[in-house]
Amino acid sequence: MTRGTLIYIVQRLAIIVLTLLVVSFVVFVVVHALPGNAFISQRVHGRSLQLLLHEYGLDQPVLIQYWNFLKGAIHGDLGVSLYIRGEQVTPLVLRELSVSCELGGAALIVTIGLGMTFGVLAAIRQNTWVDYLLTTLAVVGYTVPSFVIAGLGIMIFANFLGSVTGGAIAYSPVWTGTYGTIGELWLPALSIGLYTSGQITRITRASMLEVIQQDYIRTARAKGLREWVVTLRHALRNALVPVISILGTTVVGILVGVLVIENIFGIPGLGKEFVESILQHDYNVTVGVFTIFALLIGLSNLAVDLIYTVVDPRIRY
Amino acid sequence: MTRSVSDPVLEVRGLSTSFFTDDGEVKAVRDVSFDLAAGETLGIVGESGCGKSVTALSILGLVARPGRVVAGEILFKGRDLLSIGREELRQIRGRDIAMIFQDPLSSLNPVHRIGAQIEEAMRAHDKIAPREVRPRGLDLLRQVHVPDSARRVRDYPHQFSGGMRQRVMIAMGLSNRPEILIADEPTTALDVTVQAQILQLLRDLNRDLGTSIILITHNLGVVAGLCKRVIVMYAGEIVEEGSTEQIFDSPQHPYTWSLLRSLPRVDADRHERLRSIEGLPPDLIAPPQGCKFNPRCPFRLERCFSEDPELEPVGDGHIAACWVTMKRAYAEMGAGSLVDTGPGAASGVRPPIAPVGPDLSEPEGQGLAPEAHDRD
Repeated sequence: MTRGTLIYIVQRLAIIVLTLLVVSFVVFVVVHALPGNAFISQRVHGRSLQLLLHEYGLDQPVLIQYWNFLKGAIHGDLGVSLYIRGEQVTPLVLRELSVSCELGGAALIVTIGLGMTFGVLAAIRQNTWVDYLLTTLAVVGYTVPSFVIAGLGIMIFANFLGSVTGGAIAYSPVWTGTYGTIGELWLPALSIGLYTSGQITRITRASMLEVIQQDYIRTARAKGLREWVVTLRHALRNALVPVISILGTTVVGILVGVLVIENIFGIPGLGKEFVESILQHDYNVTVGVFTIFALLIGLSNLAVDLIYTVVDPRIRY
Repeated sequence: MTRSVSDPVLEVRGLSTSFFTDDGEVKAVRDVSFDLAAGETLGIVGESGCGKSVTALSILGLVARPGRVVAGEILFKGRDLLSIGREELRQIRGRDIAMIFQDPLSSLNPVHRIGAQIEEAMRAHDKIAPREVRPRGLDLLRQVHVPDSARRVRDYPHQFSGGMRQRVMIAMGLSNRPEILIADEPTTALDVTVQAQILQLLRDLNRDLGTSIILITHNLGVVAGLCKRVIVMYAGEIVEEGSTEQIFDSPQHPYTWSLLRSLPRVDADRHERLRSIEGLPPDLIAPPQGCKFNPRCPFRLERCFSEDPELEPVGDGHIAACWVTMKRAYAEMGAGSLVDTGPGAASGVRPPIAPVGPDLSEPEGQGLAPEAHDRD
């Protein structure tokens, strides 16, 4: 790693910190502006409500509250939950993050694995039935919303398969533990990954088709390399740059997918908390979840930009 | 006809390669035959688009879609490269017949290190023992005069200059000690001093290792400096073949003659205009009837419009496809003092008003032939 790269990374991290400040501030102000508060559903009224609000500092002006939040956040303390009173937000959010990362990671593997395989196959079999089939799949993948695929998947693999086999082979759409087993994980991961892999397939195919026209591919063949070496080492490696450039948006796509899919499958991750904390007016948790999401997007974009330099030696920061 | 003392390593027989485009079949190479002897240096010259590169690519089966070899035989040591299996052909590529290309920047993979690209050429074949691959890679770079090669193997193509990249291409081409090296315009993208160095390098290789070289170029000076024998191609066909002396001293085909006349000369009168060949190479979808050069030839006869000349001996080991040949043009048409080299200028023959010949009945030839003649 060169000195230039290090400086670049430090600069990007500084920008990420700045982004987190802005995101947390906006979210903080907005959630506090929502009508109602965390204690309404808990049937607390009058003086005891005032005491509670005072205990959590919610009777202070919003800006003061944000300042207090920041003071804690710098030390990694995102405050306490108001819904499950007294529960520390930081460990809660981190645990949920790890659950979401398991799902998101699986979805990313599906995305890259399916997307690139399909893309390469479609390109080297251009204008054959293989190409048409895979391109059609890709279009279906990114036009059908993930919740439809999830719903269909549950219908087929849980309900239909269950009733046909008398329950012997069936997908259980209920998440039993904190983390999913592979048996539980594949359908949610596929539901998210089919959408994003559709994008990757199309980009990989287009990029491969362009690269295999290049002179250096002819050179590789003229050297007497085997066809798979030409395709993977020489063509795919060069075709990766545009694929990586959309990986940044793909990660965002996966995060959005996580939001929806976790709520369908009842997966106790960030996405489920995202929705629940807003409904419960659990201010600190909402701010925490949003901030973590912003951090994830910032870091994954940085990672994408660094992967560029690994794939293409001509790119240097 | 014996052209060389030793047996040929490569025999090309009746090679035809076409590109099947939406506009029709582009006959890029038509019925091309030649031999390459062991250790020989053969030049193939002609204007852009005359089929030189496609001939070379056809030899190694590298013609890209929509192109396809439609007829012929390419015998490498008696084996027909057009009929052997993909795996067999792969083993010959780079191992027995290597090829280097015109533009060394686009021909090297930008994302792999120079050293890896050279080593991979050796690892793809079993000719070089695995433990020798790395030292040989370094050695090759030294042989082609890449300075500081031990460090530079770790560099990427974009860190090399044009001349250095072409040296890398040559090192790569030579890595398996091939018997034939096909160099397609190896010096075109380089400046003149580097051109001279690269040519010297090829000359040394031919002399020291006995590698046969097929040099494809539009630059006659390059051919004169390296090749013993020259093939002149026009519109996808061989129009003349002979030793370098024969071709340069007594060209027999008007096209070769015109090409040589159009070379800029340092000893020419400063105010003299550069002589060019009037017109453009013909449309290869519907080429003119008869001799393909007739729309541009100053010495054409009536029969040039209807009958396609075959390659005939015009000297010892010297063949040309022409009804006139320069011998007659000098004797009867005053080619030596010719000023106007426009089509038909020396012979005074104009194209026939209506297209003649048996091709009249062909639906494809009908529409385009008159237009091609009107251009004259």
